[in-house]
Amino acid sequence: MNQRKRELIPSFSRPASRVMIRKVARYEEDLLAAIYESIREFQLPVKGKTILLKPNLVGLDPQGVMNTHPAVIAATRESFLKLGATRVMIGDGPAMDRDTQAILESVRLKEFTGRLGKDFCDLNIDDVERVPLETRATRLKELFLPKTVLGVDFLVSMPKLKTHHWAGVTLSLKNMFGIVPGSCYGWPKNVLHWAGIDRSILDINAAARPDFAIVDGIMGMDGNGPIQGSPRAAGVLLFGDDPVAVDSTACRVMGLLPEKVDYLGRAGTMLGHLEVSKIQQLGEGIEAVRTPFAVLPEFARLVA
Amino acid sequence: MNALEMPDQSDRTYLTTPPWPESLSFLKTLQNADGGWGFHAGEPSRVEPTSWAARALMDHAGEIDTNDFRKAAEYLHSAQLPDGSWPACGEMKTGSWITSLTCAALAPDPQSAQCVRLGLRWLCDDLPRDSSPFRRFLQSLRPKSEIVSQNTTYAGWGWTPNTASWVEPTAFALMALHDVPQQYLPANASQRRDVAIALLYDRMCPGGGWNCGNPRVYGVDGDALVLPTCWALLALRGSERAAQKKSTPEKPGRALSLAWLQKEFAKIESAASLAVARMTLENYGIQPPPAERDLRDWTALELAEQGTHVLAWACMAVNSARRWPLVAAKSAEGGVQ
Repeated sequence: MNQRKRELIPSFSRPASRVMIRKVARYEEDLLAAIYESIREFQLPVKGKTILLKPNLVGLDPQGVMNTHPAVIAATRESFLKLGATRVMIGDGPAMDRDTQAILESVRLKEFTGRLGKDFCDLNIDDVERVPLETRATRLKELFLPKTVLGVDFLVSMPKLKTHHWAGVTLSLKNMFGIVPGSCYGWPKNVLHWAGIDRSILDINAAARPDFAIVDGIMGMDGNGPIQGSPRAAGVLLFGDDPVAVDSTACRVMGLLPEKVDYLGRAGTMLGHLEVSKIQQLGEGIEAVRTPFAVLPEFARLVA
Repeated sequence: MNALEMPDQSDRTYLTTPPWPESLSFLKTLQNADGGWGFHAGEPSRVEPTSWAARALMDHAGEIDTNDFRKAAEYLHSAQLPDGSWPACGEMKTGSWITSLTCAALAPDPQSAQCVRLGLRWLCDDLPRDSSPFRRFLQSLRPKSEIVSQNTTYAGWGWTPNTASWVEPTAFALMALHDVPQQYLPANASQRRDVAIALLYDRMCPGGGWNCGNPRVYGVDGDALVLPTCWALLALRGSERAAQKKSTPEKPGRALSLAWLQKEFAKIESAASLAVARMTLENYGIQPPPAERDLRDWTALELAEQGTHVLAWACMAVNSARRWPLVAAKSAEGGVQ
């Protein structure tokens, strides 16, 4: 059942990763064209496949600052369908509020995607499967994870570009906290905090590594993220076939040092590429879009 | 697979008052052969949706004696772990917050008495790790300004064992301790209840209401959320009634939170929050104010797609004769009775 189970490949034997940066100033732009053209360049094996988009839906957000913007989610879904995917589902398991429907209403997702019906999966209450944690970055021996996540052909992590008051940054790897079901672990998923946030991120991503990542950085959040921070417009979308490479590039865009982010430094040894030399940069250069993000004093060490 | 096996219903069965029993009938059609319910039709049975569905069935007069309820109770008996707790899913070997919910759901059933007693014993012995003396010592070494400001000497309940106290599991435990026959309670229940009430007030948001349990993070006030606020208010309503018998003065935070919920009610857009908020206000003898949405906006099928628990909450909410949470007589002031 667990089709997401992949052999862990040490970073030194992985081919170079690809990350694309695309300037998009506003959500009102032609996002479908921008996202479709960007994804197409990666020539992803998605034809005839079932895809799950995992956005970051963290809370009630009428202003569109803390959650992945619904316009980005809808355009991505449309793009994968245009590229031949049989089915593109959207799913998340919000961490702080079990009323997922209230969050969906607050972001007006349906206005952008149309009625999703069974194509939306509340990962908090999905049927679950026991997944042994082979990486053992934490002391947790197993996690119960949603069968929908484990069963799809292609998993896309779609975070918001944000700083995080406990992890430093929250991007495509941290976004995967949302696949851990609240129905098993609560709201918040406190067992992960006790196991260590940084190490839990590694265990979760090793158990269900995203195949692709798209970061919504058109409007991000800095300071006391992921909920109470300040809006920070970066005007970018990032795409990539390696979540570690995407997150490290996103850090550089934010003016932060990825190797200083605890979980990213570790992820760079087992889940993907951290070093610039191992990342094939497509689209805009980092310097052209760099937008310094403020961090809490506890994370001053991250600032480049 | 989530909601993929949902029966195809061309006719739309709306929740109405009356005839709400159609929605309850729909809930019954989702019951699995083993007596339990999954979170969605066709999924394996889980303890939480089964407990909510059992409560909704029980609300219907006489349902406790029906075959549907008996099968549900038997499923819940079979899912109980040897230590008395209930797990969140079938393969889990450790108990969880759901033990509170299940104890309360089974409490009116005389045939479940032993299961409930065992569950309550586990519950009252389950102490969160954050309030342990060692953890509190470690906490005392950290800078005062760090992250959150809350009193860690208060031990409530966590979502999972050996973690931290949170508002909702604490509220569900308090409700269980209040709702069960008092002779079922272990000796330490009263002490646990008093400390848990203190914890709920400590975790209240500054403007009233509750979120998961972080009223203030890095100096910024947290926003209250509807569901945690409702569960906390329902828990305090029952528990403080008992406390009032001991001449404990009522705390002003409850009225402040109730006022927050009344104000928020009009803006609620989801069926889950609408149903639970309605039950909460009615439990306090308050007529819910007009809202943007109405439970009748959703079909039973649409509610079931959001989860069996949501359909069960809606069934309970539209039933003014429900046993839990009781609909209180309207107070003259429209306020807390």
